[in-house]
Amino acid sequence: MRLSTILFAMGVLLLFFPILVVVPMSFSADRFLGFPPRTWGLTWYRAYFSDPVWMAATFRSLRIALFASTIATLAGLLSVIGLGRMGPRWRAGLTGLFIAPAIVPNVIIALGVFILALTFGATDSVVTLTLAHAALALPFVVMIVGAAYRQVDPNLERAARVCGAGPVRAFMAATLPPILPAVVAAAIFAFFISFDELVVALFLMGGAETLPVRIWNDLRFEINPTIAAISAFFVVITTIAMAIAELLRLRTQKRLR
Amino acid sequence: MTLSQKWTVLPALALALVMFAVPVALVLREALFDPGWTLVHFERFFGRPVFQNVFRNTLMVAGIVATACLLIGYPMALYIVTRPARWRPLLLFLVLVPMWMSILVRTYAWMVVLGREGVINHALLALGLIEAPLQMLYTSGAVYVAMVQILLPIMVVTCYSAMTEIDMGLIRAARVCGAGPVRAFRQVFLPLSLEGVLTGWSVIFILSLGFFIVPALLGGRRDALLGNMIVTQVAQTNWGFAAAMAIVLLAATIVLLALVRLLAARFIHSPREGGV
Repeated sequence: MRLSTILFAMGVLLLFFPILVVVPMSFSADRFLGFPPRTWGLTWYRAYFSDPVWMAATFRSLRIALFASTIATLAGLLSVIGLGRMGPRWRAGLTGLFIAPAIVPNVIIALGVFILALTFGATDSVVTLTLAHAALALPFVVMIVGAAYRQVDPNLERAARVCGAGPVRAFMAATLPPILPAVVAAAIFAFFISFDELVVALFLMGGAETLPVRIWNDLRFEINPTIAAISAFFVVITTIAMAIAELLRLRTQKRLR
Repeated sequence: MTLSQKWTVLPALALALVMFAVPVALVLREALFDPGWTLVHFERFFGRPVFQNVFRNTLMVAGIVATACLLIGYPMALYIVTRPARWRPLLLFLVLVPMWMSILVRTYAWMVVLGREGVINHALLALGLIEAPLQMLYTSGAVYVAMVQILLPIMVVTCYSAMTEIDMGLIRAARVCGAGPVRAFRQVFLPLSLEGVLTGWSVIFILSLGFFIVPALLGGRRDALLGNMIVTQVAQTNWGFAAAMAIVLLAATIVLLALVRLLAARFIHSPREGGV
């Protein structure tokens, strides 16, 4: 094997090593974390799935991520269409605004959202948190869907219009199908932005913990093996979802080339 | 009239204004008015050595992490981009999966790996290389390693996408003109990829500035970054002071972006410009 291949493999190993350690760890039946586990079992999965607090946090996070992803994807898709019709100056300015939340450190946005929510008595609100997550996910939707949209031939939609289709129908028939895989990929990415988001939820939600907040509160005081089970779960779900999202994105690129 | 009208940006605009622009403006107001105009929070921040140290430490950690990511990530991107086209998506996928993995989960994984009873200590003890477990968790080293591992995929992806824009015909031309592979790389490929390098470095630097999960869970008391300070101050309901620190963070981000732009405009040729 060539040296470059070995070095690259070492880099990939660095990226995967901790993740790969967590998965066998989650099947440990020991009371404390040690590696390798002395006894094996599903103890920590049982602990996770039977604990009402962990379950409530999980479902709360799933719900929030689902809604935040839907809002971000719809708003992002619509904005990409509108941006395509604007002059270069407006387009650049608005795109900058939509993308900024990905660059500005989340702690700043979180503090601002918290102050805003305090002003309107909207702290501890799932709705506020969902909207904030949608804003954090918006940059990724605008970037991914925007890249696909720019590759679509606008004449297709014009042709549909000439043939008598209404504006909505023309869009649905001509523009949406080729970019749909990118839209779905963007929705998946948006979902994970929300599902994994800690700091906004930490500031905003006093009583009702999301899954990341629950994990955070747990990790700060003890290394509870239950989190190994949750982490293994995360690892599997993220890998599958990312495989789907990446395949969809590749398909968009191929289809539009 | 088509659906593709400008008004379709309105939902996104409303979202970005209400949940991003207005909150950032409110942070600015909170930092500067209490209730009248005041600089007391900033004076407190820049007047006390504790906070100055944290600020300096944050900049230093961000600089080291960004540079380490560059040194590891650039060769990885170069490796992917020089493979046959059908292999590239798979190799890139190997980098993308960890990129989207939860930061909390990855930090937890490092706790498991580096702990007293962790994988590394266990392996070293079993090999007889050490007699007692090493203290790796709650050290600066743990913070650096985990931050590099968490941010590395972003560097690889940024460098990779910059490299794919380079016209490989130019490299071939250099080789035809008699340059060896090292010289063709140094004189043609490297300068053309610098834009990606600079983008990647500054993105990692900025993301590092706002980190707080990793230093809180893997670092010792002295490894706290600005992000940790902000979280602590919010928990103690010192919103004005937290806001002032957030503004310092934001200002550092903006200054860095401006510097990078200036540097890029002066010294770097974009592969999209054409000539070298």
